[in-house]
Amino acid sequence: MALLLRTLARQGVCLSRPQYSVLYRHAAPMGTTAKEEMNKFWAKNTRLNRPMSPHITIYKWSVPMMMSITHRGTGVALSGAISAFAVAALVLPGSYSHYLDLIHSLSVGPYLIGLAKFGIAFPVSYHTYNGIRHLWWDIGKGFKIPEVYRTGYTVIILSIITSIAVAFL
Amino acid sequence: MAAIVRLSSVCHRGLKPLFYRSTLLARPLVAPHKDQERPYLLTARIHASQALHAGSGSKAASLHWTGERVLSILLLAMGPVAYFYPSPVMDYSLAAALTLHGHWGIGQVLTDYVHGDTKIKIANASLFVLSTVTFAGLCYFNYNDVGICKAIALLWSK
Repeated sequence: MALLLRTLARQGVCLSRPQYSVLYRHAAPMGTTAKEEMNKFWAKNTRLNRPMSPHITIYKWSVPMMMSITHRGTGVALSGAISAFAVAALVLPGSYSHYLDLIHSLSVGPYLIGLAKFGIAFPVSYHTYNGIRHLWWDIGKGFKIPEVYRTGYTVIILSIITSIAVAFL
Repeated sequence: MAAIVRLSSVCHRGLKPLFYRSTLLARPLVAPHKDQERPYLLTARIHASQALHAGSGSKAASLHWTGERVLSILLLAMGPVAYFYPSPVMDYSLAAALTLHGHWGIGQVLTDYVHGDTKIKIANASLFVLSTVTFAGLCYFNYNDVGICKAIALLWSK
């Protein structure tokens, strides 16, 4: 359907003229869907064994790029941790307090415990603050480049401060 | 990723520019009929299959996007509420919200990186199983053990 319209547009037919408005109400499927085109693209590349062009190895890294992949990384890591916890709850025989006492009895130093708490708190705070930044974008705000950097640095600083504060609790 | 069509591109500039933007061609707007009596210049009238009727695409993707944002905001609110008012209700709500948020999030990751019809199907099916097991495990923990809110409190007390 999009192909039909594009062909007409290329031939200089202006579709906003009244007599053509009937065209897109009765159009036959003449081409492929976007999804089919996408799959064809990937299938062809795998079939021809084409190497992938260098992208992340050559493109200059920027703060927004790193923050974006960190958001994804923390999300996947947190989701994995929650799933691991849930599976452990189903599979392991002892109770939660039992395993907590086990960790207690290892008598790890206070610094390592603080580090572990920071290690848990940081992904949670970063993902939460950056998530708010994403929602800010979703309502259409903060897309200018200086704003992107400003909100980005704010998220990073807030995450570090919050994680340190929470690790001391 | 949602394509956001800004309202200013629809207003002020009329309908003409719209027809040359490929993102909108799949869902065209009906141009106003000024001369109803004028005979059609094109004689070929092709009839559509029901599924391709112009303008009546599925809203599933759009609703999914909105649902993701609503859930994110809900989860944001649950944090402080669970901290100040821990309870079994908060335990189970947290279990549901966390699992669904994670399920939809990983779903987006799979959509981005997994290609090919069968691979996509397998990946999504595995994710569904994982999310189900996760939710079951969290509910089991809430029911048979201390519950999520208490567990975090206990973990932090050491």
